[in-house]
Amino acid sequence: MPSASALRLEIERTLEHRFPAALTPAPKTIYEVAPIGVAPVDALLEGGLPVGAISEVTGPESSGRTSLTLAFLAKRTEGGQVCAWVDAGDAFDPESAAASGVSLKQLLWVRCRNERGLTRSKPWTRLDQALRATDLLLQAGGFAVIVLDLGDMEPAHAMRIPLTTWFRFRQAADRTRCSLVILGKTTYAQSSAALVLESAPFLPENVGGTVWRGCKFEVRRGRQRFTPQLATSRKPPASAWSAISAWEVKRRA
Amino acid sequence: MSSELYACVHAAEFPAQALLRLRTDLQTQPVAVLDGPALQETVCSLNRHAVRRGAVLGMTKLEAEGIGGLQLLSRSTEVEAAAYAVLLECAAKFSPRIEAASQGTGCALVLDIAGMELLFGPPEKLAERLRDQMATAGFRVSIATSANFHVAQIKATATRGIAIIRKGDEAHALEKLHIALLPLTEEQRETFASWGIRTLGELAALPKVELVKRFGAAASDWRALAQGVARHTFQPIEPAFALKEFYDFETPVEQLDSLLFIGARMIDCLVARAVGRAMSLASLSVDMALEGGQVHHLAIHPAVPSVDRKFLLKLLHLEMGAHPPLAAVVSLTLAAEAGQSSKMQLGLFAPQTPEPSRLDVTLARLKAIVGEDRVGTPVLEDTHRSGSFRMEGFVVYAKPTVQEAGNPRMALRRVRPPHPIQVSLHAMKPVCFRDGDTRFEITAVYGPWRTSGCWWSQNGWDTEAWDAMAASANGETFGCLLVLDRMRNEWRLEAFYD
Repeated sequence: MPSASALRLEIERTLEHRFPAALTPAPKTIYEVAPIGVAPVDALLEGGLPVGAISEVTGPESSGRTSLTLAFLAKRTEGGQVCAWVDAGDAFDPESAAASGVSLKQLLWVRCRNERGLTRSKPWTRLDQALRATDLLLQAGGFAVIVLDLGDMEPAHAMRIPLTTWFRFRQAADRTRCSLVILGKTTYAQSSAALVLESAPFLPENVGGTVWRGCKFEVRRGRQRFTPQLATSRKPPASAWSAISAWEVKRRA
Repeated sequence: MSSELYACVHAAEFPAQALLRLRTDLQTQPVAVLDGPALQETVCSLNRHAVRRGAVLGMTKLEAEGIGGLQLLSRSTEVEAAAYAVLLECAAKFSPRIEAASQGTGCALVLDIAGMELLFGPPEKLAERLRDQMATAGFRVSIATSANFHVAQIKATATRGIAIIRKGDEAHALEKLHIALLPLTEEQRETFASWGIRTLGELAALPKVELVKRFGAAASDWRALAQGVARHTFQPIEPAFALKEFYDFETPVEQLDSLLFIGARMIDCLVARAVGRAMSLASLSVDMALEGGQVHHLAIHPAVPSVDRKFLLKLLHLEMGAHPPLAAVVSLTLAAEAGQSSKMQLGLFAPQTPEPSRLDVTLARLKAIVGEDRVGTPVLEDTHRSGSFRMEGFVVYAKPTVQEAGNPRMALRRVRPPHPIQVSLHAMKPVCFRDGDTRFEITAVYGPWRTSGCWWSQNGWDTEAWDAMAASANGETFGCLLVLDRMRNEWRLEAFYD
């Protein structure tokens, strides 16, 4: 009587011309992740945002998506790495970034120009400028994180970005080991995104008093293409986290 | 026993060679160089293709224009000076002792190569390497080596290619050369012609005393030159090392591609000269003389000194594209500052950072897309004014500033420029506001936070900030920063909390 392993080997050999290694599970690739620095969200994502892939942080205004992204940048610049923020809407606030702990010296900020400032020889819209800038930065390599900030962009406009652009970005990010974070109101990268984080509208924390002390946010894992390890335990699909105001930190310090 | 040994480098038709050095497209075409005052211009120099077409020195411009296909260029002393510096630079790689010995339209340099055998081998090898070096720099030269200074000079002037004259063969090497190579006046030349003396060998055979009786003391020197025994005291020049290239356009140039065509060749020459001294180009300074007398200046500062031609040309391209000249360009000058070759020791565990040269090109491209002042690193201003910062150039530091990331904090998203809004107050506090046609109810508000400053200048501010939680009619809630400009009594929506 043949043993189970011998039987499996025989079946696989028989089906080899149609299904290579039919009964052997495919080896799981373990993808590198980088922690965001917000413990509940890191726990939700089993480590953090993927390195060398596209992550999307989506949500309406005041949903904590910018705070979360800045926390990620702060964590990456803490390790001496260089990051870039491609700002399609010119909405980035350096003071908030500094308060979040981002080392501004290690941050390249690309501020896309208003349509009014366009010249005849360079008739590119803000979205076009942002995509070109992201493409250049991804090709240059060496950036640990590139944030493509489409947070103020109307979804109707950003949805027109061709899928080939996202494919190209995904390949470039993989090649240069860069975490490309797309900040938007909804998902744009579709199948090219390795991870989608959906932020819910904010919940004011400690309403009342004289000073706004912080906010509680809720984030949900919308899509996770790669898991860092085999999913043996069930993680909650959503997680709550809170951010405190900059002056609150100063007061405590 | 004399240990003297000289090599003479002679670049014939130097005005033409200097102009064609940077114009590779004209090097295979007949070219004549015109010199002289307007309407009296004559051909002062020409290349061999022009000679084959029938052009000769001294032709008037009208006669030269009659030759089909002949390209006519104007002589430029600046171009010749730049080319001479390059020639000198190349020669200095073979000997530190160089004497200028130019005559007429040719450019000649005599190198003292005594004792250079250990470095460059026998004179034949040295001459070949010297010729190759000159060819790389864009010059066609003839070279002669001899133990006698004047013999090397005369032989290099009179012949093409390489001539190696052994010690004792000087007179034999010169005997068939024409007597016009000596510094004679027209009258003296006619006298020799009437005697039937046409070569240096014939002159060398004349009796010294009889010759001096008829021509004076100078005749003794001519005879010594013809015999190859004239003595010379070497007077070396000390060329200053300056990386500079100049090109004077025939007609004003408007197109960027045409400028870059010449610019590329100039960069090649500058890089080759810098590499010859084991150095790199730390910065490039570009001066474009424009029609109307103005000068358009550009400066390129790579993050690290470089000798990468393509990289430097790309930076030049992007810089010219970002700051194009406002009029047609008459002449182009490229000056470079030499720096030490870039060497960087990377750590095995150091974080990956952008490669400096690629980052330079990327930043220049980004500036071309979004604007010069919209790419860089934000630096916070030392002021209490909300949202004030300035942009500085992005630099990757070898030792980054390590800043500890703390707890997550509420971030602002700025509205640039701030929206003017209409705010309704109750008990001195905002209760609702209208942005365009949309009305927002304020569910909670914190403030006011008053700041003011710079009241002594026109940039003064006096504001009252409110942190507000607002809700729209369809139930969307958000946090925002409302600011009352007390100087203008105007409400603005400055930022959203996100």
